[in-house]
Amino acid sequence: MTPGRLALTAVGDSLDRCIKCTVCESACPVAAVTSLFPGPKTVGPQAERFRQSQGSSPDRSVDYCSGCGVCTRVCPHGVRIAEINARARARWRGRTGVSLRDHLLARPVLTGRLGRPVAPVFNWALGQRPLRVAAERLLGVHRAAPLPRVVGRTFRYRVSRRRPPRSPDRVVYFHGCSVDYFEPWVGQMTVAILEHNGFAVDIPRQGCCGLPLQSTGLFEPARRSVRRLARSLSPAGTDGLPIIASSTSCGLMVKREAEEILGVEDARLRDVSRRTYDLFEFLAGLHRAGRLRTDFTPVPLTVAYYAPCQQRGQGIGEPAMDVLGLVPGLRILELDRSCCGIAGTYGLKREKYAIAMAVGRPLFDDIAAARPDLVACDSETCRWQIGRATGLPTVHPLELLYRAYGGAEPGSAAAGPGGQ
Amino acid sequence: MMKAVETDLLVIGGGATGAGVAWDAASRGLQVVLADRGDLATGTTGRFHGLLHSGARYAVKDPRSARECAAENRILRAVAADCIEDTGGLFVSTPADDAAYADGFVAACQQAGVAATEVPVTEVLRAEPHLCPGITRAFAVPDATIDAWKTVWACARAAAAHGAAILPYQEVVRLMVEGDAVCGAVLRHARSGEEITVRARYVVNAAGAWAGRVARLAGCDVAVVAGKGVMVAMNHRLVNAVVNRCAMPGDGDILVPVRTVSVIGTTDARVEDPDRVQASADEVRAMLAAGESFIPGFTQHRALRVWAGVRPLFAATSPTSAETRDLSRGHTVIDHAAREGVGRFITIAGGKFTTFRLMAEETVDAVCADLGVRAECRTAAETLPDSEERHYYWIGARQAQAEARPVDDPLVCECELVSRQDLLVAAARRPGLDLDDLRRALRLGMGPCQGGFCMARATGLLHEAGHLDRAAANAALRDFVEERWRGIQALAWGDQLRQMRLDAWILLGVLDLEHLPE
Amino acid sequence: MDPSARMAGNDRAAADVVVIGAGTAGLVAAIRLSQGGLRVRVVAAGHGCLVLAPGVIDVLGYAPERVADPARALAPFVAAHPDHPYARVGPDGLDRALAWFRETVAPLGYVGALRHNRLLLTALGGLRPSCLVPQTMAAGDLSQGGPVLVVGFHGLRDFSPALVAANLCAVVPAPGTGVAARAATLEWPGPSGDGRPLTLARRLEDRSLRAAVGRDLRTVLGDEPRVGMPAVLGVDRWQEVWEEMQLVAGRPIFEIPLVPPSIPGLRLFDLLRRVLRAAGGRLQVGAPVTGVRHRNGRVEAVTVARTPREQVIDTRWVVLATGGVGGGGLQVDPDGTVREPTLGLPVHGVPVPGHPRVLPDPFASHPLDRAGLAVDEAWRPVDRSGRVVALNLHAAGAALTGCEPWREKSGEGISIATGYLAASAILEEAG
Ligand SMILES: Cc1cc2nc3c(=O)[nH]c(=O)nc-3n(C[C@H](O)[C@H](O)[C@H](O)COP(=O)(O)OP(=O)(O)OC[C@H]3O[C@@H](n4cnc5c(N)ncnc54)[C@H](O)[C@@H]3O)c2cc1C
Ligand SMILES: Cc1cc2nc3c(=O)[nH]c(=O)nc-3n(C[C@H](O)[C@H](O)[C@H](O)COP(=O)(O)OP(=O)(O)OC[C@H]3O[C@@H](n4cnc5c(N)ncnc54)[C@H](O)[C@@H]3O)c2cc1C
Repeated sequence: MTPGRLALTAVGDSLDRCIKCTVCESACPVAAVTSLFPGPKTVGPQAERFRQSQGSSPDRSVDYCSGCGVCTRVCPHGVRIAEINARARARWRGRTGVSLRDHLLARPVLTGRLGRPVAPVFNWALGQRPLRVAAERLLGVHRAAPLPRVVGRTFRYRVSRRRPPRSPDRVVYFHGCSVDYFEPWVGQMTVAILEHNGFAVDIPRQGCCGLPLQSTGLFEPARRSVRRLARSLSPAGTDGLPIIASSTSCGLMVKREAEEILGVEDARLRDVSRRTYDLFEFLAGLHRAGRLRTDFTPVPLTVAYYAPCQQRGQGIGEPAMDVLGLVPGLRILELDRSCCGIAGTYGLKREKYAIAMAVGRPLFDDIAAARPDLVACDSETCRWQIGRATGLPTVHPLELLYRAYGGAEPGSAAAGPGGQ
Repeated sequence: MMKAVETDLLVIGGGATGAGVAWDAASRGLQVVLADRGDLATGTTGRFHGLLHSGARYAVKDPRSARECAAENRILRAVAADCIEDTGGLFVSTPADDAAYADGFVAACQQAGVAATEVPVTEVLRAEPHLCPGITRAFAVPDATIDAWKTVWACARAAAAHGAAILPYQEVVRLMVEGDAVCGAVLRHARSGEEITVRARYVVNAAGAWAGRVARLAGCDVAVVAGKGVMVAMNHRLVNAVVNRCAMPGDGDILVPVRTVSVIGTTDARVEDPDRVQASADEVRAMLAAGESFIPGFTQHRALRVWAGVRPLFAATSPTSAETRDLSRGHTVIDHAAREGVGRFITIAGGKFTTFRLMAEETVDAVCADLGVRAECRTAAETLPDSEERHYYWIGARQAQAEARPVDDPLVCECELVSRQDLLVAAARRPGLDLDDLRRALRLGMGPCQGGFCMARATGLLHEAGHLDRAAANAALRDFVEERWRGIQALAWGDQLRQMRLDAWILLGVLDLEHLPE
Repeated sequence: MDPSARMAGNDRAAADVVVIGAGTAGLVAAIRLSQGGLRVRVVAAGHGCLVLAPGVIDVLGYAPERVADPARALAPFVAAHPDHPYARVGPDGLDRALAWFRETVAPLGYVGALRHNRLLLTALGGLRPSCLVPQTMAAGDLSQGGPVLVVGFHGLRDFSPALVAANLCAVVPAPGTGVAARAATLEWPGPSGDGRPLTLARRLEDRSLRAAVGRDLRTVLGDEPRVGMPAVLGVDRWQEVWEEMQLVAGRPIFEIPLVPPSIPGLRLFDLLRRVLRAAGGRLQVGAPVTGVRHRNGRVEAVTVARTPREQVIDTRWVVLATGGVGGGGLQVDPDGTVREPTLGLPVHGVPVPGHPRVLPDPFASHPLDRAGLAVDEAWRPVDRSGRVVALNLHAAGAALTGCEPWREKSGEGISIATGYLAASAILEEAG
């Protein structure tokens, strides 16, 4: 299972386009708050010239890159800085080994499966400071870090007895691990919204996309995961169907990172990737095609909306803003900050928790100043982080849409990690 | 009164050969003065291709050279490990190469004692992802890369440790002849113009492509033809090992991973004046095109810098039996006593960087024989400074150092990871250095931005530390801008042109260097 | 509906105007267009030069002698350079554009006038002309000479107060004038510093660290009536930092621009982005445009590279503000061909094949430097025979032919004026 030659060299070679201009440096949210991270240019295109394509890399500082991807996005010259860093991090990890904690954080399915049968105990434990302190010591998961609660009944269980409506318009739903184990209501609402718009939703069995493995530097298992996922998302009879993702990070993995960071070259994955849409990207497209139902009831709320890094990484603009803008009564305040700090599992780690909180500080301050009723964000880990840091209820923007379509209170869910 | 120095041996030329001679002679107990008209290793040595030959390149065409290289390769790995990166080398048959050559190549390597092992193509392509996937055969050989500046300075420091005086920026402007022997020289400082005399019992002319001019100062005639070779450094390592085409040696058929760059070369064209060699745009294009034959898309990669070096090629004018000249050996020790009746004067030139130690040994053997000194050569066993541990240099070394450095020792040159402390220590070690000398010592300004960001920083630091006064600082900065420009001017396209434009915005725009007071 | 057709619809967006590029020219045009009521989407491969440039607005600094009064120098300058963007901009256009700009970025308090070039201190201690400068540099006009205290920070790698002061003492701003400069160095605030201006600027936003710097500053003050400091006086909270330092010093403090990253540039960039958003414009970064779709001589849509699917933005007008060679708006091939890589527009002012592109003197005016796009009176790119390429395609900024702004010191002046005027041309057409 060797990664593709071309995919691998293309990212590395992009360092040739770096003219050291410092655009990435001035935009990096991590370098802005800690000197442990010398900045994207330094650990990226600059350090890459000192790394052999084989052999180990000497630089532990790259491990402080949160992988938010801002650098790649702002680089005017097309240097794949974040991707270079992710690969370097994997090599660094290859040298130092991966801790038990990182193995666990990299496998949400495992955590979910282990936790689910004993959900009440597990969730109780999450709230117990002494236990969290112990976990911090033993595992290195920061005691105050936002961890999701496991639900007793998975999303798949909840939809298993559903009677899907028949429709010539079909889509495949890529729900990801988080919906299955932690936020099943997000998945249920996604299905409801799609069905409301006349789609029959296929929900094939699916595992993890491999993103947490990838960001931990476990590239081989990550490659296996994403290839397996590509097969799961394209079962027989679903050729050519759009695949809808409600998790921005899992969507990004399938759309770009599997190829650009992991170097996976796989026809099946490429096909799946071409058909994958972020939920709001899809809905905004429906609207432009005049097909989105707008039988909205007013939602009289003031919501601060934050488009997460992984969604911006998809280059789809801010489709949630476009769609929610159609809902009467809803007042949306857009938050223009580059990162909330959590970056997947980065902010959970003991040694990075403080950095992650500092990265998110400007965002949290903006939210506090805006005094919204709710905070909306498309990414689950960001919701948990923002909820924990601001104490405000957080929702996936689709929960607002669900409500506008006459569904129940958004999320009934209340707030991120504390929710349900 | 002109300052005068007395010594046993004056060595003219601080390239690899001269520095090697100084090291060898000093370690045998001679009192040595080594002089170069510029900084050490600013002649051909500082402009070579960076390859420590395994001998494989010469195996078919010149077996004796191959054997010499193979032997010297082994010795230098032992005594100069810190200057060497053990990249290994590959000979690959590209689709354009005659596959039959490979068989003869393997046999010739075996004959010459060069270890050449065939490697499965798939394995090679895995290790070298940029390499042309169409290669048909590949052989691993013990080629390596060697850092010219480190090596020459290590030799100079070893010589100094044995009591030698190292005199950069001292040009030999006159050779003193008494009776039928050379007895010393007048040296002129390149910057101050001040002259000194060095009285010497013996003089070795190791002035490379300039050896003809130096010999003429003693009325001797050594016909040196300068052969220009062009090299283009690509912005990063496209290969991890030295990659040679497995074919009869030709132009642009070796790609050498030297430090952070990979260098493609080279050519061979006669030039009249070794001081005036410029790579033409056509030559640059030819090099890049040659790269395409083993790295598809080579032309699209970023060319960082171009330069040319001059090979000193000897034309035998008046061969006599006393000459040790032997064409196949590639180097020549000319004893002018036997040749023209000018005693105590030897010219050594030709050869390769790889064989500098051997050339030095043969030269000093001749000097000692003439002076009646009985001392064995020790350079095959005496490790050079910083190589005592016998650890090869490693590409990641600077990165590792940078990681370990305290935060408050920031990088001055970010491309090549030179910190403020690095700069100040180097400047204090040899007062009077200009920015270009520091470049050779530290690789300051040698990376992608070619000094755009670091030149002004470094100037400020040197001024602050009292190494340059205001006017000297401004002049040093301007000189360095001009020096860096020389090697990128021919590369005004693509990524490097974008870099040149940003540098122009920094130097001319933000800093308005053009209108800085003198 | 056929699924593939439906999916294609998902990759479409629409705007009245697509502005390509988020440098000065692009943002200026986009703001003006948004203010004019059009739906604007800025799509940019990345951030532009704004965050690298010192945030000073040069109009014309050398022609080739130092210019004291750009307003007056303009006419003879364009007479000598008929292909220069200023030839189209004209004195009136320049005046309007700069007035609009000052108002638009009012929070930064730009000062200056077209009739007077200020002489600003460089980070090497020379003087360079510039026209409009942000408030934090207002006190730094040294055209009349006079004593200055140059204050740096230990370890700040891009600023050496000693060299600045030494050079400054040697300059002659105007015949018969001079500058008496003295250097002083303050401790780096807080735990050991990494020497980067951005780190320092962020540290100075911290009250207690700033107080320590203030105490330090007080000890080095002499009787110089003004103090020059590197441009690191706060990023977001610059006003607070700058005012407090002046209070401590009891005299004006002016910032001295450094090499990139530029903190005053960052402030300007952030402000322009906020203004654009407030005016209803959208900014999409990380979105390289790959081409346009034409019909009947008009651009209908712009295509954007995106993994895994290209994006198509339907639009009524396009402003190309992709910058020069440095910004990615122009590309040069090994054989010397100069291309406009985004839309393949004809490039003017290219040295003829066989002639040198650059000269051996790095400080020279190189033949290649003036290559770029030529435009008609509505700022629409034209081909070699002067014909408009597309009726609704306009261009602005460093991509234009006929200038060498880093030598002339005309960079932001050109970008602001052409961005403003290109937008005006579209607004006029939109009615
Ligand atoms: C393009 C090219 C690529 C090469 N690549 C390789 C390679 O990869 N591997 C390899 O092994 N070999 C290589 N060689 C060969 C090798 O570089 C040379 O053989 C070797 O460097 C010569 O060293 P030198 O000391 O004899 O000459 P130089 O390095 O030229 O030294 C002569 C010195 O004499 C000084 N000098 C001249 N006149 C005076 C004077 N009047 N007073 C004082 N000093 C004076 C000069 O300043 C100069 O420093 C290459 C050669 C060329 C041209
Ligand atoms: C180091 C430096 C110092 C400077 N100093 C000064 C100064 O002191 N005074 C002064 O007046 N001026 C200065 N300038 C110049 C000034 O900043 C420029 O004139 C101005 O920024 C040019 O603006 P622009 O908008 O035309 O192009 P740029 O700023 O280059 O912006 C180009 C934009 O286009 C985008 N782009 C390019 N291609 C594509 C594509 N295919 N698709 C989408 N987007 C694309 C880029 O990503 C970028 O966003 C300086 C510039 C630099 C770099």
